Amino acid sequence: MADLKFEGEIMSEMKVPVYVVDDDESVRDSLAFMLEGHDFTVTAFEDGQHFIEQADLSRPGCVVLDSRMPILRGQEVQHCLNEQQSPLSVIFLTAHGDVPMAVNALKLGALDFFQKPVDGALLAIAIHKAIAQSLITYKQQTFKKSFASLTERETEILQLIVKGKRNQQIADGLCVAVRTVEVHRASLMKKCKAKTVADLVMSYAKVKFKAHTNK
Amino acid sequence: MGNRQQTSGYKHRFSVLIGLACLLLSNPLFAQTQQTVDVGILATRGEAEAHHRWQPTMDWLSEQIPHTTFVLYPFTLNQMEKAVENQTVDFVITNPGQAVQLGRQFSLSWLATLNRANGNKQSGTTHAIGSAFIVRYDSLYQSIESLSGQPLAAVNEHAFGGYLTMRFEINQLGLNQSQYFSNTQFIGFPLDALLYQLRDKHIEGAIVPVCLLERMDKEGLIEKARFRVIRNMAPPGFSCATSTPLYPNWSFANTGRKDDHLAKPIARALLSLPSSHPASVAANSLGWTSPVSQLSVDKLYQSLDIHPLQKPWWNEAISWLKRNQQWGWMLFILVIVLNGYHFLLEYRFSRSKRELENTLHSLKEKNTMLEHAQRVAIVGELGSSLAHEINQPLAAIRNYSQGGLLRLKKGQPAQDLVPVLEKIELQVVRADKIIQRLRALINKRAIAKSDCDIKSIISDTLSLLDYDFKKKNIQLIQCHEKDKYLLWGDPVGLQQVLLNVLNNAAEACLQGAVQEGHQIHIDTKMDGQNLIIIIRDNGVGLTAHYQTLSKVFFTTKENGLGLGLAICRDVVEDHNGSFLLESSSPQGCQVTVSLPIKCDNGGS
Repeated sequence: MADLKFEGEIMSEMKVPVYVVDDDESVRDSLAFMLEGHDFTVTAFEDGQHFIEQADLSRPGCVVLDSRMPILRGQEVQHCLNEQQSPLSVIFLTAHGDVPMAVNALKLGALDFFQKPVDGALLAIAIHKAIAQSLITYKQQTFKKSFASLTERETEILQLIVKGKRNQQIADGLCVAVRTVEVHRASLMKKCKAKTVADLVMSYAKVKFKAHTNK
Repeated sequence: MGNRQQTSGYKHRFSVLIGLACLLLSNPLFAQTQQTVDVGILATRGEAEAHHRWQPTMDWLSEQIPHTTFVLYPFTLNQMEKAVENQTVDFVITNPGQAVQLGRQFSLSWLATLNRANGNKQSGTTHAIGSAFIVRYDSLYQSIESLSGQPLAAVNEHAFGGYLTMRFEINQLGLNQSQYFSNTQFIGFPLDALLYQLRDKHIEGAIVPVCLLERMDKEGLIEKARFRVIRNMAPPGFSCATSTPLYPNWSFANTGRKDDHLAKPIARALLSLPSSHPASVAANSLGWTSPVSQLSVDKLYQSLDIHPLQKPWWNEAISWLKRNQQWGWMLFILVIVLNGYHFLLEYRFSRSKRELENTLHSLKEKNTMLEHAQRVAIVGELGSSLAHEINQPLAAIRNYSQGGLLRLKKGQPAQDLVPVLEKIELQVVRADKIIQRLRALINKRAIAKSDCDIKSIISDTLSLLDYDFKKKNIQLIQCHEKDKYLLWGDPVGLQQVLLNVLNNAAEACLQGAVQEGHQIHIDTKMDGQNLIIIIRDNGVGLTAHYQTLSKVFFTTKENGLGLGLAICRDVVEDHNGSFLLESSSPQGCQVTVSLPIKCDNGGS
């Protein structure tokens, strides 16, 4: 699922935080140890409550959740993340995999589901994927916010850019000066943090697509 | 006075001895002209009295028969019997009881019977022997029957006048002899002692020969008025009180040691003794008369089963068998058959006993198997919890080892990994402990008791249930009075009890709905010598009566065996404890296990 376009970001993945939430101290400690061996930046929490309170939920990252914990259960944590529209990816770990729970977790947007004792290599791959996904989600969210911050005129111009219109054509269509279009275009490119038109179109497509699927 | 008489008696004997010595030394012709005759006399009231009573008669005989000296020997009953048996005397004067006893065993021939003074009549009576049953005048006892089992006394259990005649009467009255005389003492001659004992209140009743009371009164020894004779049946004109019919009087008999030619002059001399002669008076008689029938005495002995001619019962039985052989054989065969049958029954009985024991044994085995089955079942019920428990350390081990490998591959020095390897070791120990605990629980085993700590059994049990409780969101609240509760018991059985109870509590919690959350309380405390474990939940509570719940194979669970509570009760009762299940308020139920503790050395 990792988009080749984001290879640059994959390289910086290692700085993306990985959260481990497990009530069993030895499991928590060993998991962190193992993932650190895979060069992840790991932060461990002993229960869901601490995690929700202390982790930065608005930043991209991956959380490895024990499905059955006392105070805040894995699925409750997931629910909480969804509510806050956190870009964090969720991977579930459980001692005793049961199908209904797995299905439910995946439906709610969990990326993967592992049974303990988990194979470190597979988990590492899954975390990589999850981080990539999280970055994408984060980007989309950022685009979405950017698009949302555009003025009406900028949105009109954006839609026309996406349709492949040139500045002149846009100016003609909107009955404004080409210079005006250029100013709007520069502003919108800045707001959307796009360097090229291709970037912009790609981001727009993603937001559109997501909005469509969300409907 | 008695002493003087006794010394005169000795003097007399001494002179006889000198006379005998002279006889032996002197010419045999002369000896034929002067001979000594030994007469044995039953001395019922002591030697002195015997001399006093009978010496005049001896003197009379010596006087009547020329060249003959009659010497008196006072004897007790036993001495008399020996003397007759060994023929150490020539003649005897004795009471009818002994006369019959001796006469039926030895060759005694009767010469004369004493003629008793009978009131004022001159005729006299030959029947003058019997018993008087005497109580104190003021005694509460009025009848013979009422004295049964009371402290009584008689002279001797073979005494005729003093005891046997009375016993015969008791027998005739249909009373149980052995019960009647259960508290009777025999105090021996002289007879006087009996009345003294009665007077001094050592006994309640005395059985004495007739006329003893009257004679002692006359002699001034006692006061007749202070005594009373029970059931006096003296014939008209008979001067003494008697409680029994009268039997023939004393008799004079020949033991056969000397030639019979003396018998004739002696009999003649006795019969010719005038009633007013001092010898008659001294003997308290009217002289002698010809021997009377002693049939009534024979009959008495026969009815008391002590007649000398009666053969022992086994002799009777043998002679009967000889006469009736067919019956004997039948009896013999019957005995054999019955014995055979007895052994057959015995064999069958022991066989069925063995079978019963085997059944009991196999029942016990089955019980152990059931317990085992239930433990395995409970392990099944705890499946996910246990899988988690074992998986956790395995997961940690895998993580540590993979993390370690990665680092080694990256060229990190192996030295850095030592702490990780130590952590792995710890996890292995943790997993091993769980497996051991589980194995102990599901192993088939004989019940083995040992010293165990209830507190650690509880924490072991909780470690098996820990995950399950977390999964079910059940809060566990513990309150222990002490750190240690040492007990002599079966740790696996007790753990099974706790597992069952806690598992039930957890399930009950899930079924009940409470706002404050599911809670299970475990409290331990001491109550005297008993350890009390209380496990309380706030779940759904009891759905059936305890009696029904603890029945084997009763279950409300879909997959339940219905063994849990029954086994809990069995195990606790095997520890001499009690198991109580009751509803608790406002909801839920409470289990109280009470176990007698060996000793407590836990800190508080």
